Amino acid sequence: MRLLTHNMLTSHVKGVTNGYPLKLQAENIKVMSVDFNPEFVARMIPKLEWQALVQAAESIGHLGDLPRELVPEYESNEEFLKMAHHVLMEVEVIEGNLECPETGRKFPIKNGIPNMLLNEDEV
Amino acid sequence: MAAPMDQESCAVKTKLTKSEKKAYKKQNKARQTLLRHEGISTSSEATKHLVVANAGLSNGVHREELWRLFQTLGDLQDIVMVTGKPYAFVSYADQQSAAAAYAAFNGRMLKSPEELQQPNVTFYLNHIEKVPSQRVAGLDLPPGLRLVEDFVSPACAARLMEGLGWSTDNQQQTDAEQALKHRRVKHFGYEFRYDNNNVDKDKPLPGGLPDWCSPVIDKMMSEGHIKHRPDQITVNQYQPGQGIPPHVDTHSAFEDEISSLSLGGQTVMDFKHPSGKRVPVVLPARSLLVMSGEARYLWTHGIIPRKLDPVPVKGQEESITLARREVRTSFTFRKIRHTPCDCKYPCQCDSQLQQTGPSLPRTEGEAGQLEQQHVHQVYEDIASHFSSTRHSPWPRVVDFLKTEPVGALVVDVGCGNGKYLGANKDVYSLGNDRSSGLANICRDRQLEVFVCDAMSVPVRTGAVDAAISIAVIHHFCTQERRLKAVKELARLLKPGGRALIYVWAFEQEYKNVKSNYLKDTKEHQNGDVGDKSSTRPTQEQQGASLPIHVNRTSFKTQDMLVPWHFRDGAKKQQRGSQPGLQVPSNSGREKNPERDTRDCTEETNLDRNSEQNSDKPLEVGNHKKQDSEEENVKSCSGACASDCQQSQDEPVYHRFYHVFKDGELEELCNSVPGVSVVDRYYDKGNWCVVIQKCL
Repeated sequence: MRLLTHNMLTSHVKGVTNGYPLKLQAENIKVMSVDFNPEFVARMIPKLEWQALVQAAESIGHLGDLPRELVPEYESNEEFLKMAHHVLMEVEVIEGNLECPETGRKFPIKNGIPNMLLNEDEV
Repeated sequence: MAAPMDQESCAVKTKLTKSEKKAYKKQNKARQTLLRHEGISTSSEATKHLVVANAGLSNGVHREELWRLFQTLGDLQDIVMVTGKPYAFVSYADQQSAAAAYAAFNGRMLKSPEELQQPNVTFYLNHIEKVPSQRVAGLDLPPGLRLVEDFVSPACAARLMEGLGWSTDNQQQTDAEQALKHRRVKHFGYEFRYDNNNVDKDKPLPGGLPDWCSPVIDKMMSEGHIKHRPDQITVNQYQPGQGIPPHVDTHSAFEDEISSLSLGGQTVMDFKHPSGKRVPVVLPARSLLVMSGEARYLWTHGIIPRKLDPVPVKGQEESITLARREVRTSFTFRKIRHTPCDCKYPCQCDSQLQQTGPSLPRTEGEAGQLEQQHVHQVYEDIASHFSSTRHSPWPRVVDFLKTEPVGALVVDVGCGNGKYLGANKDVYSLGNDRSSGLANICRDRQLEVFVCDAMSVPVRTGAVDAAISIAVIHHFCTQERRLKAVKELARLLKPGGRALIYVWAFEQEYKNVKSNYLKDTKEHQNGDVGDKSSTRPTQEQQGASLPIHVNRTSFKTQDMLVPWHFRDGAKKQQRGSQPGLQVPSNSGREKNPERDTRDCTEETNLDRNSEQNSDKPLEVGNHKKQDSEEENVKSCSGACASDCQQSQDEPVYHRFYHVFKDGELEELCNSVPGVSVVDRYYDKGNWCVVIQKCL
């Protein structure tokens, strides 16, 4: 599960109003190399919740030098885009948990796949 | 008299002769060795079971000899010999027989060659409480399962293959066979009926069992591996990458003992108990596998379609290595059953199970159960087989995906094996599926995926630029659930975002053109299909059983169970991969729905697909926690196309479908606030709709 994916996921346990962002706990992380496409990253950034991204990256120790706030005119700031690219696309959580911030319910991540399936009583 | 006294039991010993004392010492030694090295503890009292030291395979003793010797002393039930061990277990029906055997053989040197070929062998016997279960790589074999290695010699194996007349060398296959790439199947003794997945017990095949099989059968009987002579043989040849999904052989068709001889190559057969426990069993070439009791009636068995098997390293069973598959020919010997089955495992028993099948649900709980049994569990069981038949993305879906700009966020709800997740490399594709098995297959392809139900997708509202849901919503068994799924899609979309939905159409003939699903069958030529009835199809009465659809025919109702026949999907991919190629319809072809057999995009790289499925070695002995508690493998109780060459060994799964009528999907989408239908069309037997989120 990449951090970009994490940024999109939310807790959908019934009745939860504050299900985002999910707390990230990682036991096994993989860092890899992904082709950098500046246009892709620039267009993706507005879709993100930036603070959630920063929080998540930091919680697993992969924030690096990524700024905590979006820098102005980031679209043309290649250095910034590269850092964003790294955090969004190159860091994968292989084993860990996503925790609902409201209920504490844990969704396991195994083999890089979060299992968000709810039980009958949570639906 | 001059024998030295043993301090411990001199009172007893003075009465024994020297040779008796020696024998006693040896027996004691045997007992201690067994305890120390093998963990086998002997019983001081008489029991039905004996362990016989020096009667093992590593002593050069043959099973047949033991059977002959011990049979005379009483009601001999079983002999177990373990490869490489210097002892054998002998079990009688009663204590007296065992005690008689003890008296007859303990400490006595056997005469050679009248009693035993090997000279100078003395058996030392001890009673034991029970025979320890055979273990394989630290796991107990399922009860009733026995593996006999080196059952036939290489020469005997060669004679069998010669008698069969198939070559395993691809070069020698006829052009026709190679073109069709069928897994070879042949039956002897009895004909299979595919409409009830049972044997035509009144019509034995002419010729009976071939002569060249007799020596093998004789050996199975004389060595006591089976008690009843088989009268039916099925031969299957598996190419590397082929397998068979988990199943239980139909109870009512065959008696208890089912034996399988593996020739040519080794494979791993997975046994699974309804509780989820899994035992992988390596079947070496020339070994005989005998399934009886629980192993035959309750545990499912199957072979994963892959080219590499994780196997324990000989001598270091904790270490795993990968063994490459080779062509394997299996000869399965069975005895036809002529009375209804009365086994102790009714949950898997077609004779004992209720005659009525599942029906449309009346409550949410029932709806969930129906989908669990007839959608989710099926996909988990067939994940790898299913994936290998879903390789070519449909062009119009790809077109939709390609209209998204760089950096778009796209969600594929119900992504299956992920075939659309890589279609547009400039967007971020996020897939989800209900099946962990399928999600793992996506993962093997480095695709981003998570597991959830389509009625509740854990993604932020309005976060998504585009979404697709291809061949998913028709698996929901109530209108409410289908609506929920569409509502979720609508919720995910950002204002202006679009979602593409494909569902299977009730009308398989549209504008006078039959869909490919219908085309590939001889049946439709008889005017069987083309059922463009002007009358509305009747909805299933609640409570009445869901009908089982006959594949490749027109739909008679909207709600039904559709059989999935396992066919070597891996091989099937190679057909129809060239643009414009007219693939002739023929019998024995895959009968699975939805698949366009004339896909003209994307070269299909069969090997890459299978390899990807097999690259990830399964951990031997691990229990997959995602497995549901229920095992719902039912034998096919419905009609199959009569030209289906389905072998008895191939199980049938039933998936629930609600097929949509013309306009129904659009109507469903129109009842969702916040979106409007911006496109609708018919594509390859599916109704398709594009909805757009209002600004």
